[in-house]
Amino acid sequence: MRITLTVNGEERRLDVEPRRTLADALREDCGLTGTHLGCEHGACGACTVQVDGTAVRGCLLFAVQCDGSTVRTVEGLAAADGTPHPLQTAFSHEHALQCGFCSPGFLMLTAAALDEDPAVADDPDRLRELLASNLCRCTGYAAIRRAVRRAAGSGGTEPPAG
Amino acid sequence: MPDPGREGTTAAGRQDAATTRVEDPPLLSGHGRFVADLRVPDCADAAFVRSPVAHGLLRSVDLTAARRVDGVLGAWSAADLDDVPLVPPMMRPEPGHGRAWPALATDRVRYAGEAVAVVVADDRYLAEDGRDAARVSIDALPAVLDPADSAGDEVRLHPGASNVAMETTVGEPVDPRVWDRAAVVVRARYRHPPLCHTSMEARAILVRPEPAGALTVWCSHQAPHRLRNDIAEVFGLPPGDVRVVVPDVGGAFGGKSETWPEYLAVVLAARRLGRPVRWVEDRHEALTAGPRGRAQTQDVRLAADATGRFLAMELRTDAAVGGYPHTGWFLPEVTARMAAGAYATPHVHVRARALLTTTPPLCPYRGAGRPEAAYAVECTVDLLARWLGMDPAELRRRNFVPPDRFPYDTPTGFRYDSGDYAAALDLALETAGHGHWRAEQARRREHGGPPLGIGICAYVERSGAGGEFGAVEAHADGTFTATSGCCSTGQGHATSFARVVARELGVDRHRVRVVEGDTALVPRGVGSFASRSMQNGGEALLQSARSLAGEARERAAALAGVPAGDVTLDGGTLRAGGRTFTFADLARREPLRAEAQVEPPQAFPFGAYVAVVEVDPELGSVRVLRLVAVDDYGTVIDPLIVRGQTYGSIAQGLGQALCEESVHDEDGVPRSVSLLDYLLPTVAEMPEVAQAETCSPDPNTALGAKGAGEAGCIGVPPAVVNAVADALQIDPPALAMPLTPETCWEAAR
Repeated sequence: MRITLTVNGEERRLDVEPRRTLADALREDCGLTGTHLGCEHGACGACTVQVDGTAVRGCLLFAVQCDGSTVRTVEGLAAADGTPHPLQTAFSHEHALQCGFCSPGFLMLTAAALDEDPAVADDPDRLRELLASNLCRCTGYAAIRRAVRRAAGSGGTEPPAG
Repeated sequence: MPDPGREGTTAAGRQDAATTRVEDPPLLSGHGRFVADLRVPDCADAAFVRSPVAHGLLRSVDLTAARRVDGVLGAWSAADLDDVPLVPPMMRPEPGHGRAWPALATDRVRYAGEAVAVVVADDRYLAEDGRDAARVSIDALPAVLDPADSAGDEVRLHPGASNVAMETTVGEPVDPRVWDRAAVVVRARYRHPPLCHTSMEARAILVRPEPAGALTVWCSHQAPHRLRNDIAEVFGLPPGDVRVVVPDVGGAFGGKSETWPEYLAVVLAARRLGRPVRWVEDRHEALTAGPRGRAQTQDVRLAADATGRFLAMELRTDAAVGGYPHTGWFLPEVTARMAAGAYATPHVHVRARALLTTTPPLCPYRGAGRPEAAYAVECTVDLLARWLGMDPAELRRRNFVPPDRFPYDTPTGFRYDSGDYAAALDLALETAGHGHWRAEQARRREHGGPPLGIGICAYVERSGAGGEFGAVEAHADGTFTATSGCCSTGQGHATSFARVVARELGVDRHRVRVVEGDTALVPRGVGSFASRSMQNGGEALLQSARSLAGEARERAAALAGVPAGDVTLDGGTLRAGGRTFTFADLARREPLRAEAQVEPPQAFPFGAYVAVVEVDPELGSVRVLRLVAVDDYGTVIDPLIVRGQTYGSIAQGLGQALCEESVHDEDGVPRSVSLLDYLLPTVAEMPEVAQAETCSPDPNTALGAKGAGEAGCIGVPPAVVNAVADALQIDPPALAMPLTPETCWEAAR
């Protein structure tokens, strides 16, 4: 099927099988391999991308479902002039990644959340709820939590233990 | 209540807080390069046809329909091959004798998920279409899941060879009179469930045939030189004709050190097709057919006198090593040697066995034999404390190997290098606010409230093994290359190794580029496992840098006409008789390079963990209120990285304690098939964690670093289980990991 996606601001005309996932279309057909596949059943969130501004699992959507949509991947997270997104800077400063395989998913998840409501970083319960949707096997998550708070301007320190 | 040690607030944690890793920018911008991200022209995808049953005679594999699928380039089972490649042994060949492991099953399958055929197609979707079209006929045989059943050899997995792939004893047998005369003897049985490594990137390999039979192999791996040698040997190639390149690796945790059968099948397919072929393991495969960790069943006996002094300990441990004893056999041996724990117990005797079971192969998983030992020792110490009515911390203090007895030779044959175990425990208790929690526990027991418990684990572990290669070269442009035989799988070697070299030479770390993970660029190496990278690889780089500096002094002295002893090195500048030289100045005259091969003895990091938990007796849920980790890794090179490693291993330890288990049904068919059944901790499961360190440098190296990175997996499970037992006022062996709500609810009744 012929579809059109606007990926990171660039129009992509693709001819894909109906069964092709969005994640595979991005990785294999668009060459955007920053979106990683960690489970292919929607549990780990490594493949999280934004479709029309909403964070979604790239492995749970077929590419054809996204025909006409705007897709943003980790390759499109930095500003056009190359300035890193505050989350990218904060992840590095807070040591919120080790192997880095899950990081693109966490970045796209949290970038969408902060776009929608930066106050999510100040509410420990909401932040936990948000981050619990993705899996990381290396860091133990605390650094990721700090990074999101730092990127939101809340400082890298932890909220009071609750 | 006290609030010491909030995350990252100690001096060590803050010192480098502004430091970032050189690895980060590409990984955070989508420009990391994991195997599946490589774009190799004309690359085909492989999928495996796998056995649906745990044990059986393989009658036929019909690939006719698979080969007819559009886009399928080739499909092979063992029946299509004159010579089925065998998985080469690892470390010792004996356990594999009579227990050969073919890359594709020949006449028998020994675990559900074992590969029986490989299908290669233009892309992954088509390869899986081909896989699904394959027809496999297997006559089922009885599954063997319980190690006790296995040992009886009633159902042999490998006809002609016992299911007991390895049996060893360490220490002298305990004189029966010791048990008879002891004031108290406690016995316990423990079961360690099989765990899945679950690196977020599962296994992956891409093989490209090169002219004249050579191969380039990209693999997500921990030991590239071993993989190169294995592939060369299996396919009859000179090692120099096989280049193994390890790109970015998405975590490994022990599951990527090996030469797995799938890798050999991919090499075979690529050679047959004359075309690049890759296999990117999916999560379902990783959880059902991939390697496992732990899986030991243990019986422990501990004797003490009336004052709590340990008199003797005996451990019998059986590891369910799966259908092939490949690397699994050596894990119970590690457990056996670590069975003395942190204590000066005069008599320790262990019998350890590796028993074949119709399950996926056992292999090292973060901790690799040490968590099993620490659990057996530390839960039994708490059991003894209950019997004696003694404070578990005090009981430990009475029995620790004291600081003045190092180096300490354990009855199990290890030599502990250094340490102050009581200091680590005291710091952990203080950091946890132990007194406060004991008072709160007493208050709740008197006045009501959710049961609260405090659990301790005082661990000692082993790190580093074997030799390692390092080299440092100064370049004319002022940069340096540090070459290591280790291989980062996410630990940040490009940052921390550069730091070792930069500090020694007095130059900016950003001028040091680390090269590793490519057998064409690194002449030899062992790899990254057993917490060996900094201890062994870092030492090799330090020695290389020292040699380089020594050579630079000699050359500067010769140029300046002064004795070498008069040359100073400060801030990367050599001063000799009024002249100054940089390393670049000298490198411009002639190549300036030094290398080292080191083999320091293994080291014994240690520490103490404290968990405070609350149990909801009606729901059985465990809430970890506080977790304290005090670790002693000797000299820490990069506190940020080391703390991050510890934190991550704490999360994995919590997963083991509370939720992770690879479940098989009674026929040996996996029931944990997705990340919705095999539960990893999310951020919601993570408690407040406080980290602190003591420092006992490795006396056997110049660097002083001991292994770091596995401690959380060792310290957390006993601490949490002891805490839950303390909350419920039951014996720790009454609880079996994982501590699911059902387990705790039953125990609380």
